[in-house]
Amino acid sequence: MTPPQVPGERLTRRAFLGRTFGHLGPLALGTLLPGCAGMPATPQAGPAAAWPPRPHFAPSAQRVLCLFQSGGLSHVDLFEDKPALRTYAGQDLPPSVKGTQRVTGMTSHQDHFLVAPPIVGGRRCGRSGLWLSDLLPHLQTVADELCMVKTVVTDAINHDPAITFLNTGNQQPGYASMGAWASYGLGSANDDLPTFVAMVSQGSGKNPGQPIFSRLWGSGFLPSSHQGVAMRPGGNPVPFLADPDGITRVQRRDLLDDLAALNERRAQALGDPDSLARVQAYEMAFRMQASVPELTDLADETAATRTAYGPAVDTPGSYAANCLLARRLLERGVRFVQLFHRGWDQHVAIQRQLPRQCRDVDQPTAALLHDLRRRGLLDDTLVLFVTEFGRTVYSQGKLDDPGAGRDHHGRCFTVWLAGAGVRRGHAHGSTDDFCYNVAADAVPVRDLHATLLHCLGLDHARLTFPFRGLDTRLTGVEPARVVTPILA
Amino acid sequence: MVHPLVLFGGACLWLVPGSVGRAPIATQGDPVDYSRTIRPILAAHCLPCHGPDEQARKAGLRLDRADAAFAPRRGGAAIVPGDPAASELWRRITSTDADERMPPPDAHHQLDLAERATLRTWIEQGAPWRDHWAFVPPASPTPPPGAAHPIDAFVQQRLAAAGLRPAPPADRATWQRRATFDLTGLPPTPEEVRAFLADESPDADARLLDRLLASPHYGERLALPWLDAARYADTNGFSIDGGRHAWLWRDWVIAAFNRNLPYDRFLLEQIAGDLLPDRDEQTLVATGFQRNSMITHEGGTIAEENLVTYAADRTKTLGEAVLGLTLGCAQCHDHKYDPISQREYYALFAYFAGTSEPAHGGDGGVNAAPATEARSALQTGEEDQLRARIETLEAALADPPAATVAAWEDEQRRALATRGQDLALHPLEVLELSTPNAGSGFVVAERRFVVLERSLGAAALDVSMRLPQLSAPVTGLRVVMHADPGAPTAGWGFGGGRDDKRTFVLTHLSVSAGAVPSTQVNLHRLLGLREATANCWDAAGRPEGCLTTPASDGWTPDLDHDGPVHLTVTFADPLPPGTSHLTAQLHFGRGKNLMARRMEFFAMTGRDDGSALPAAVIAALAEPAEARSTAAAAAVRAHCRDHAPALASQRTDLANARERLAVRTRAFSTLVMDTAATPRTTHVLHRGNYAEPREAVTPGTPAALPPLPAGATADRLGLAKWLTMPTHPLTARVAVNRFWQMLFGTGLVRTAADFGTQGEMPSHPELLDWLAVRFVASGYDVKALLRLIMLSATYRQSSVATAADLARDPDNRLLARGPRFRLPAEFVRDAALASSGLLVRQLGGPSVNPYTPGDPWREISHFGSSPATAQTFVQDHGEKLWRRSLYTYWKRTLPPPNLAIFDAPNREVCVVDRATTNTPLQALVRLNDVQFVEAARALAQRVLQSAGTDADRLDAACLTVLSRLPDDVERTVLARALGRERARFAAAPAAAARFLAIGEAPRDPALPAIEHAAWAQVASLLLNLSEAIVRH
Repeated sequence: MTPPQVPGERLTRRAFLGRTFGHLGPLALGTLLPGCAGMPATPQAGPAAAWPPRPHFAPSAQRVLCLFQSGGLSHVDLFEDKPALRTYAGQDLPPSVKGTQRVTGMTSHQDHFLVAPPIVGGRRCGRSGLWLSDLLPHLQTVADELCMVKTVVTDAINHDPAITFLNTGNQQPGYASMGAWASYGLGSANDDLPTFVAMVSQGSGKNPGQPIFSRLWGSGFLPSSHQGVAMRPGGNPVPFLADPDGITRVQRRDLLDDLAALNERRAQALGDPDSLARVQAYEMAFRMQASVPELTDLADETAATRTAYGPAVDTPGSYAANCLLARRLLERGVRFVQLFHRGWDQHVAIQRQLPRQCRDVDQPTAALLHDLRRRGLLDDTLVLFVTEFGRTVYSQGKLDDPGAGRDHHGRCFTVWLAGAGVRRGHAHGSTDDFCYNVAADAVPVRDLHATLLHCLGLDHARLTFPFRGLDTRLTGVEPARVVTPILA
Repeated sequence: MVHPLVLFGGACLWLVPGSVGRAPIATQGDPVDYSRTIRPILAAHCLPCHGPDEQARKAGLRLDRADAAFAPRRGGAAIVPGDPAASELWRRITSTDADERMPPPDAHHQLDLAERATLRTWIEQGAPWRDHWAFVPPASPTPPPGAAHPIDAFVQQRLAAAGLRPAPPADRATWQRRATFDLTGLPPTPEEVRAFLADESPDADARLLDRLLASPHYGERLALPWLDAARYADTNGFSIDGGRHAWLWRDWVIAAFNRNLPYDRFLLEQIAGDLLPDRDEQTLVATGFQRNSMITHEGGTIAEENLVTYAADRTKTLGEAVLGLTLGCAQCHDHKYDPISQREYYALFAYFAGTSEPAHGGDGGVNAAPATEARSALQTGEEDQLRARIETLEAALADPPAATVAAWEDEQRRALATRGQDLALHPLEVLELSTPNAGSGFVVAERRFVVLERSLGAAALDVSMRLPQLSAPVTGLRVVMHADPGAPTAGWGFGGGRDDKRTFVLTHLSVSAGAVPSTQVNLHRLLGLREATANCWDAAGRPEGCLTTPASDGWTPDLDHDGPVHLTVTFADPLPPGTSHLTAQLHFGRGKNLMARRMEFFAMTGRDDGSALPAAVIAALAEPAEARSTAAAAAVRAHCRDHAPALASQRTDLANARERLAVRTRAFSTLVMDTAATPRTTHVLHRGNYAEPREAVTPGTPAALPPLPAGATADRLGLAKWLTMPTHPLTARVAVNRFWQMLFGTGLVRTAADFGTQGEMPSHPELLDWLAVRFVASGYDVKALLRLIMLSATYRQSSVATAADLARDPDNRLLARGPRFRLPAEFVRDAALASSGLLVRQLGGPSVNPYTPGDPWREISHFGSSPATAQTFVQDHGEKLWRRSLYTYWKRTLPPPNLAIFDAPNREVCVVDRATTNTPLQALVRLNDVQFVEAARALAQRVLQSAGTDADRLDAACLTVLSRLPDDVERTVLARALGRERARFAAAPAAAARFLAIGEAPRDPALPAIEHAAWAQVASLLLNLSEAIVRH
């Protein structure tokens, strides 16, 4: 009897292509099948149609960096130049402006809704003349990189539903996050790092900030291989990364070789492609054990670079340190990097808290944009600086009380984008004199999502996943539009 | 013999006629099956605008019902049976006029040529219409002839039609392993494998199943998918995600499966256990099912919105877990595909909207109402054993070995002798203060005092400080609390204490340090704190209480002490040179303004002059043991008993045993359902928006399903009776399908949560119906159902697949081979624990916190701003590290990472079909997680403690992990690995010691370390095999 000559590779490939993608993570796949290099000849109907997934059309961005400011950043103080706020300071917000929409339980009991002007001034910056608060002196220097959207509108007025909405397209839990959709739609672009990485930092303005949740970088109904990997500083930046104490790399390598030999042999005998894929997953894990420490070791960054990101860059887990790590992740082909900076929920003590929050992010964010630009990464990386809602123009609490702040405001708020696919030094949309209502060009959250996907070469209406009888998408069931005026 | 791979190796992809998933293409002459072929086409292309959704309906035309589609209309009926040319539908779908063309040219879905041809053929054949299969009660089909077992008869008929033959049976050991995992979630023990293989009696298989069905672990295994469906968790979910207590409901589920509670009763009690005529404590506990929904106490949220969210989640869960319907789709509008109007949705919603549950609740670890105090439903008979164990542990601790006491005394005397050595205290300059919820009321005085002008409501207080330049390394931090005339009673703090002396409780202290100032303590670089001492303390408030995060303990000074009081923490390691800044975060006691008034901070160099020992113990230690008075000796012994590190594991064991006895014998709080004194009125909500109520509705069920049984009340009891009517078309089918899914990886209906028109057709409709009818007729006997399925040849088939098999039917929907899938997350961990011998086979009880890297909760939580529990992760010890994974504490906003990585859902919403992925992070868990490294060490220990040669031991290890012996090639690989690791560790004994120190399970000191470490590596190799976590 002659032993059958069945190359394992053939069984593997064939079985992969015949199986649903859900059985195999994109990480493992990244090692076996090339990522989305080059342009597809024909657009794909949906990721189930073929693997690896490909963009629907030529993308402007290969990857995304989302700088999420968690808690509700005050557009009133930071991005809006409204002289009326000084004129009306201390007066009730005109009822015609305030309207009858709901406000949160934090201020709904107030008798007065007194206009509170920005806590400090600001200026028009650069050639674009975009207005930025003096609380953001470093960002003022990169104003010409920014594409501000001043008219984002969210349906939610409290943190949990609002932050879930911004990150997953739905106020209720159970849906897939932006990064998970990007992973699902495009797969991995590297072979030794995760496709989607999330990092959390604590705000200096308010600590603890509003809680955040793993669902914000979760995969929802998508296979869990699309969920973001939460990186944390320390010996295990990726969970369980470090070999057990006492075990050397050589020992681990030998163990994996034995493991592969035993697994492959058994997989052939049983006809089990998943076990072969598991061998590949172990190999990628081994590579990650080398690539992640290399990634997180900032020793090869020049003093000039460190200085640029500011003094906190050497504080592990800080927003500044995470910004520098984000650049290193993007350089290494991580598809979606998301930072969550907590502490923007200035219900109280805005005079005290907001400057500190701004100090956390101002210099590192500006440095990151410079750095990405200098390295050419901004040409094919889309940067989003977003938050779950803005804050009210009226004061929460008495105007002269050092404990006063601002409540949540979802009827209009500012986010900015930069980099691949979007206009530079541009402002989109306008708000009324009190930056309380949209005056023109409202951008619902779903339009922001559609635009993000568009920059990645994905049609939001065609990037779907069948779930519970619907072709579910990031933009939800309401019609969404790409915000074309902000596209470069 | 020709290998099957060769036979099929060249076969091209072979499309199975009528394969599930995609609508097959009909050819002229074949009768077109409406349900299987036409409805999916209509659903995908037509129903969004011409379906059940009244709001979305265009031109008043609906194509989901025959009467409407055939009805005469201006321009002609949409469908004229037998006559495509006269059918407006045909004219429109073939029109070249963009204004007439259907679907409209800009529609996302377009009909292709084949789909159009199929529609034409169907119309030509008279457009036969059938009600959706799942809405029609199952008939009782007769199994086709040809196989003894009815299940095999159905399956083989389908295989024959596809030109396929069933696979040969799996070998007995494989079948046993499969069955044992399926019914207990654990691998068979080597003894069980040997016994079963030796049992050649004809009923050996049936007896094995009976034994497994009677195992207490059966209930745990069956509970797991139901916990997913019921979104069971230990936290409230939304926003702050504080802790709750619902484990009694989980105990109830386990007990219900173990006593084989009929499935109809299982539902009845969970949905309406509070309303049953024969209700009791346990039927009330069962109603926790619908209290597993997420809730919030976030201050700004709007009450009405929250209440709608809660009831909507219950409605959705009822749909997906019980009815197999995507009811949630009808919350905002009529269902697009299924005959469920929005009004009908709110009629179902109304059943769950009538509780007294508050809109905001669950803060501070207290269950939101309604809750009840009850005992566990599980009867485990452990009580006497526990009492005996407690007695033994108490006795052992009461009289610790003299050597232990002596060693501890020596250690204390050494510490006392050197205390205060080279001590110097250096005032710290306070730079900045921060607290999350106040803008005033706290100031820095003289750049060194922190003064609170009023109580800040117990929020965290971060103090950023500058260190002076010091030549000696900084070894610790001292916090001094001064009595202050500005404080009430001129005391130390704002509350507590006595009327004449107010005080404070410092519940937690965190410190970080660095080269730059930091407003906030750095959670990623918290300094290890080796010890906390104070110059005085109240007996109920010892200094070490502030080293842990829970607010239940903390330091509070002795009220009789005069003058400033201080606490000193010694860092695990002195601060490195170059450290110039330090940030401390202080947490004070809650509820009674237990904050300090005036604080001062000092860096310490040298050794602390304080001691955590009470004065009486210090005095006694100064005397020789034999010279001590009885009281002094007792004081020393008591302190040693309560604090000696050498006795820590005994204290843990005793505390665990006491808690376990309480769990077995006492009543605890759990969430339940009730009916409010004045139940709220439910309205149809326009677009699902709580703020836009429309017409009021009363509880009721959808018209497309059978009516409520006679006499059914308009409450949850009526609903439960309706669900469990023997003629209900969905309940039994959905249940049977989920049990099938548990055994085969995929249900007969792949979309287990969606039996509606958008769900997949069953792969074996007659089999599903036959099982459902039989299940009902058996009195909803779950154990009998599983036994029946598992004794079939279909279940017994070998799962070995050729490349051609995989290409032909990748997901094995036709069941031409045995089922194979990776174990669910919980059983991946449980199997490793079981193989290692570490598994603690305790049934039920509160959730536990086994090993988790660091404190990931605090980084995302509201710790320091909320009295909610579950804001910091506190690892358990002792037996709680080795419980089954379904008892792992489930924090919804951050579920246990080593389970989430293996696709465990976060339990925020109902899940009835976990995905299975295969990722590098899974490899890292099995290779590096302390839990798995420790399991490898324990398995190695187990093997080494048995007699035998290396070969014998390798065989034993394989049998333990894989339920089979290795073959010669495997033996060679394993033996080589063992030799290699022996040599490595022999050359690096220190590495062996470090490797063996991982995990808290005690190590047998009699085993040589190098040998143990080498075997632990081999054990890790075995535990990491793919086969170890694939049930095949």
